Amino acid sequence: MNGRLRWWAGVLVPFALLAAGRWVLPLPFVVEVLIFSVYTMACNFLLGRVGFISFGQPAYLAAGAYGTAFYLYYFGRDPLVGILVGLASGAVFSALVGLVFVRLRSDYFALVNLALAVIVYHLMQKVLAPITKGDNGLWFLDRMSSTPLLDLARPDGFVWFAWLVAVGVWALYKYLDDTVFGACCLATKTNEDKVKFLGYHDFKVRWTAFVLANTTAALAGSLYGVYFGFVSPEMASAARAADPVVVTILGGTGTLYGPLVGAVAFVGMKDLVSGVVGNWEFFVGLLLVVIMLAGERGIWGTLEPWLRRRLVWRRPAPALQE
Amino acid sequence: MSHHHGALSVEGLHVAYGEAQVLFDVHLTVPPGGLVACVGRNGAGKTTLLRTIAGFLRPRAGQVRYGDVDLVGRKPYELARMGIRYVQQDKRVFADLTVRENLRLASSATGDWDWDAVFRYFPRLKALLDRKGGYLSGGERQMLMIGRALLGRPKVLLVDEPTEGLAPAVVEQLGGVFQELKGQATILLVEQNLPLVGRVADKVYAVKEGRVVAEITDREAIRSAAVEAYL
Repeated sequence: MNGRLRWWAGVLVPFALLAAGRWVLPLPFVVEVLIFSVYTMACNFLLGRVGFISFGQPAYLAAGAYGTAFYLYYFGRDPLVGILVGLASGAVFSALVGLVFVRLRSDYFALVNLALAVIVYHLMQKVLAPITKGDNGLWFLDRMSSTPLLDLARPDGFVWFAWLVAVGVWALYKYLDDTVFGACCLATKTNEDKVKFLGYHDFKVRWTAFVLANTTAALAGSLYGVYFGFVSPEMASAARAADPVVVTILGGTGTLYGPLVGAVAFVGMKDLVSGVVGNWEFFVGLLLVVIMLAGERGIWGTLEPWLRRRLVWRRPAPALQE
Repeated sequence: MSHHHGALSVEGLHVAYGEAQVLFDVHLTVPPGGLVACVGRNGAGKTTLLRTIAGFLRPRAGQVRYGDVDLVGRKPYELARMGIRYVQQDKRVFADLTVRENLRLASSATGDWDWDAVFRYFPRLKALLDRKGGYLSGGERQMLMIGRALLGRPKVLLVDEPTEGLAPAVVEQLGGVFQELKGQATILLVEQNLPLVGRVADKVYAVKEGRVVAEITDREAIRSAAVEAYL
């Protein structure tokens, strides 16, 4: 198999499996896995590539969701335009916030983002209530019109659109992994000083990565908005701030398939296990503890070496002795 | 590799970490295309000197110039883009990146994709292109760090104890590389390996407790054990 074919197989095979799942799994489950995987890809990039742990992802999710909701509630009917508006809102919001936030590192970065989520929640619930309708939220399901790409009239119209978006985002991150920018992000995570020695403006690298990742989170928010036809301040709730971080670690931080695997596991427990037993969070917590004790590599990080051996993938080279 | 353009000069440099002053009135000059070594005991201030020249520390007073250009106050990445490269002592490359990715980063920053020049000095790197930095030996990491710094036609190389902890054969190889680099870049080498210093340096500054206590320009004195008195 040549390199290009292998590259596309790497993109399409996991999502083809998920698409096939559409016929055996509940439709809402597949949609939520797709959207949540997009949400987690952003967190995975920040945490795995740049070394930023953020507990403020709901703020960026809400920025995209409310951008879409404002457009669809007050101005237009085309959900695709609404998603583009949400994407732009997320990009502008994270670009402005990033100017200050990416100067911070580690725990301060995590906490200032958490504070941002609290602020956004308060803004949407109270301060901007005249236009956000506070806790009642904005309802626009009936206002949206179908488009050839996003046929909302068909029950499975949205799932294929979400599938395309998720494949596109995943391909983008897979592509970035192989670029100089991707390497630069990983290098800043390892050693910022050395990135400067090479002539890179480390702040610009971190800022670009931050904006890219949080615009991705905003895209997930836009998708949620269009899927539910409803947006409320709950989207920015700090109570759900740890979710994308947990799913990233659950799937395998910094791995390409981790967000997808983590989303399947997380949403699976939330939607499927909770139907059988209550307190699904208990099982997520338990699984997280087991994964940490098993080597901190997440589900995919643990499975991958095993699959490599079974499928005769490229083996890591042994270390040379000096 | 480009030819040199100017001398590196440090004049009246005072550097402090907060209240603790580390360098006192340091003067030194590296002639264009020359290789000057800085020797001294651990804690003498040699690394602080290199970090200040590389833009990581702002001096309390004094000047650092390359030719006619004042380097004080410039950011490290600006200096790197000007061709002033710093090879740190810690031998830590980007462990998660392969040798190829490490070189790509340097090439992308400098626009110099001619890796043959690097492989001419360090042929071993060519066979290690797909190996991650974390799997390299100390010598290989040092080769990669210097090789990376060579991309983009550096004008000045600031190299901090490159032979520390390396096998004699690798030290020998690095000595040969520095010999070859002389005349092509202006090099300030911090080193405690006196046989290597004797082999490659045109001039030696001895640093003790933050002050330059001797400037040795006589080749015979550099090659002899005279320098050892300052360690």
